[in-house]
Amino acid sequence: MTGVREEDVVRSELRWGLVTIAAVSVIMIAIIFAGVAMHINPPSNIERVNPQDLHLSAEFTEANLGTRVEANGQITSRIVATQFAFVPRCVVLPADTPVTMRFSSPDVIHGILVSGTNVNTMVVPGYVAQVHTVFRKTGDLLMPCHEFCGLGHSEMLATVRVVPKADFKPGPDGRVACANQ
Amino acid sequence: MPADDDGLTQEALEAALKETPRGAFALAGLTVGLLMAAWLAMYLLVFLPRGSVG
Repeated sequence: MTGVREEDVVRSELRWGLVTIAAVSVIMIAIIFAGVAMHINPPSNIERVNPQDLHLSAEFTEANLGTRVEANGQITSRIVATQFAFVPRCVVLPADTPVTMRFSSPDVIHGILVSGTNVNTMVVPGYVAQVHTVFRKTGDLLMPCHEFCGLGHSEMLATVRVVPKADFKPGPDGRVACANQ
Repeated sequence: MPADDDGLTQEALEAALKETPRGAFALAGLTVGLLMAAWLAMYLLVFLPRGSVG
């Protein structure tokens, strides 16, 4: 066979190899740009907590759940993800303000996402999942469990109520609840 | 097995083999191009406007 030479085949494959390297490079550069320039990163937080006494520990006791403005001005929501509900079922957060959401689970692996935003993380028993973000739009955002956690998984959802910055009014103890907003 | 039992001459076979890579690259380029376009559209129009997270 004289029509197709080995060199032609190798050249064709090398050209296609360059195309695939270019495609992967474009994706990698885009991901690095999002992380470095726009602070869009996968949430990463390695913080241990004992799941067996989560409801008794200092941070995730029932009275401490929900949104609180800390002494240093940091706005933090603490939520327990448990079969098959979030506690509390609704949290209030201000728009256009850096906020922190902290989650933990006493039972099995859950996951959360806040619809219409990039907030998305796993909630693994024994660890505190933490997400920093800034909500740009106001309204009630659905926050379902997105990791199958048992028979009641499909009923497991909460609401993130994003209110205008001016309407975000913490009480004297720094707490803000959905019932007051 | 006889060499020409499919009725093709050696010339016809070589001509077909010369043309085949062009069509394969056109098809592969189109599918990868569409995939990249869809990825970039999601990235630029959905992912980046949703803002910072980490």
